[in-house]
Amino acid sequence: MRKSHPVRRVVLATAATVSGVVLLLSLKPASDPAAASTAGAAPQQTAGAQDSPQGGAQAPAGSGTVTGDAAQTQYGAVQVRLTVSGGKITKAEAVQAPKGGVSDQKTQLAVPKLNQEAVTAQNADIDTVSGATYTSEGYKKSLQSALDKVKPASSGSSSGAAQARTVTGKATQTQYGPVQVRITVSGGKITKAEAVQAPKGGVSDQKTQLAVPKLNQEAVTAQNADIDTVSGATYTSEGYKKSLQSALDQAGG
Amino acid sequence: MTTTLAGGRAARRQTMRRIRPRRSPAVPLLLAVWAGAAAVLWLWWHNTPSIADDTSRILNAGRITGLLAGYLMALVVLQMARVPALERRVGSDRVARWHAMSGRYTLCLIVAHVFLTMWGYARQAGKSLGDIVQQTLDSVDQLPDMGKAAIGTGLFVLIGLTSIGGIRRLLPYDTWYHVHLLTYAAVFLTFWHQITTGNDFAVEPAAKTFWYALYGAVTALVLWYRILTPVRLNLRHRMRVEAVIEETPGIVSVLIGGRRLHRMGAEAGQFFRWRFLAPGMRFSSHPYSLSAAPRPDMLRITVKAIGDHSARLRELTPGTKVWAEGPYGALTAQRRSKGKVLLVAGGVGITPMRALFETLPGAAGDITLLYRANTTNDLALWDELAAIAKERGARLMYAVNSPEGERPDISAENLQRKIPDIETHDVFMCGPPGFAQSVFEALRGAGVPARRIHHESFEM
Repeated sequence: MRKSHPVRRVVLATAATVSGVVLLLSLKPASDPAAASTAGAAPQQTAGAQDSPQGGAQAPAGSGTVTGDAAQTQYGAVQVRLTVSGGKITKAEAVQAPKGGVSDQKTQLAVPKLNQEAVTAQNADIDTVSGATYTSEGYKKSLQSALDKVKPASSGSSSGAAQARTVTGKATQTQYGPVQVRITVSGGKITKAEAVQAPKGGVSDQKTQLAVPKLNQEAVTAQNADIDTVSGATYTSEGYKKSLQSALDQAGG
Repeated sequence: MTTTLAGGRAARRQTMRRIRPRRSPAVPLLLAVWAGAAAVLWLWWHNTPSIADDTSRILNAGRITGLLAGYLMALVVLQMARVPALERRVGSDRVARWHAMSGRYTLCLIVAHVFLTMWGYARQAGKSLGDIVQQTLDSVDQLPDMGKAAIGTGLFVLIGLTSIGGIRRLLPYDTWYHVHLLTYAAVFLTFWHQITTGNDFAVEPAAKTFWYALYGAVTALVLWYRILTPVRLNLRHRMRVEAVIEETPGIVSVLIGGRRLHRMGAEAGQFFRWRFLAPGMRFSSHPYSLSAAPRPDMLRITVKAIGDHSARLRELTPGTKVWAEGPYGALTAQRRSKGKVLLVAGGVGITPMRALFETLPGAAGDITLLYRANTTNDLALWDELAAIAKERGARLMYAVNSPEGERPDISAENLQRKIPDIETHDVFMCGPPGFAQSVFEALRGAGVPARRIHHESFEM
């Protein structure tokens, strides 16, 4: 039963809380230091690529900041700027967002969450913030365009991008079965393309054997999804191009 | 007229069997609380990559205070969930003090959280500190679950105001208590905005799961120990008032009968919260200590008429139904560590001491009771105490004011003179706060280590 000192206790608790919060705030850097620490982690992501149809390695290669196109929403424009380092999005921010009246609230609510989600997801496939649907949709569009702009070639000198990575595109359904493409990206270039899924059975086996090697070759040559359809295997070719495009989108190219 | 509830020897045997000297779990519990707070801060740290300017500093301070308030709020409710580990091992009085302390602190965090967050939003919108009221109204209007949160915060402020010392003394106990029950509504109302607008919960599913688990566990404990356990206890034991007896002027004993009362697990030194289902009394429950070891068919409480409720006890008629919750309290034989025991009672604080005097195991000469009262007429239960002292060879002393009204001098020297080996005793103490404080200091002066002075005090 020590003597209680209510005033002393109040002063101590207040001082401890205030100085604790100030200390925590001051220990946080003004800009994100994650860049240096995450650069080395990027290559590990290839391990998961095969397991998921979405592809585990969605990170765009390269370094620097990229600003996406402004996406118009009914409340105003949304424009996203990404800071990319060692192939990872280390920071996302909105340089434009709806303003004025209700929009201010929604922007304040939604943008920090969307920024966080973008960094977490490393792609534009992020959740819409409820109550701020238009802003979220605009954000996602601008984010996608920013991701598209992170051309591996533009930052080929970056050490992080020199690592070979594999990216698996989305499986595309064709009338004979799904097609799914995996590309290997190294130094910002597609060095290999392959089909991890392609139509099978009967006539389809023939067509797959005929078309896929050609398509693989074309993809490496063209460095984009604008490749020729293999005649006699139109459906497989179209599916291949779609899956290739999604792989390129994920790879940022 | 006085009552005598005999059965001392049987009760001592029972107590002996139940004594397992155990450490209070207070230290590990407090460590767990701090670890939880550290985890909450880590969550913020983990989700905040950088802070660019003063606006985000303000907003982040708002987030930190909000997260801590949300965490502590759950603990403040938990402290009042009547969990046996807290009530019987840490001690109801200590837990109630924790509750009051953390409640005040949490309320301060809530106010800081609201202010900082709204200020930060106002700055973000390019407005000044003066627009904070408009900003708050806008946010309440437009952000999800903020209407509920605003009502809940209002309730918290109301609860805080009614608990300020001066205001609380002006209010009837029942009013204060029922306002305090609004805490449950306030916690429920403010919970949802934490999940829907809280940055850390939006981006971190694991954090959201943890938050639901924390609040879910507290809710389950409250339902179990505040509702189910008392219902079961009262259905099983069906207690009624048997008799009301005036012990001394202003002090009454209430005898309570019921079924298999020894199965309630009550020990000497503990108390129940009693609700007498009589007109004007059924809406409030009050803690009163057992003034005798529980018997299979009978419990006894002894109460001094100091408030409305206790004054009305003497008008209770036999047969009145009784709703009890308990047993609570940690001032039991489990606390003792050595052979000899000194019991110190101040005024009506004699009630738990009387029960312990009878039931604490010990040889002749091991147990001493020091009873402080204003006059010899105020020594309630004296005849019983004398009989117990004679039966077990225990020492019984009293200290009353001199005829001129001078207070007796309970000093370290006097205590040492009366009880030469006082420093080897365990001391159990119950009395008004001022008395307990001065005796505590005298005991420390006489060489009794603080860890062997066991007391219960409901002063906040």
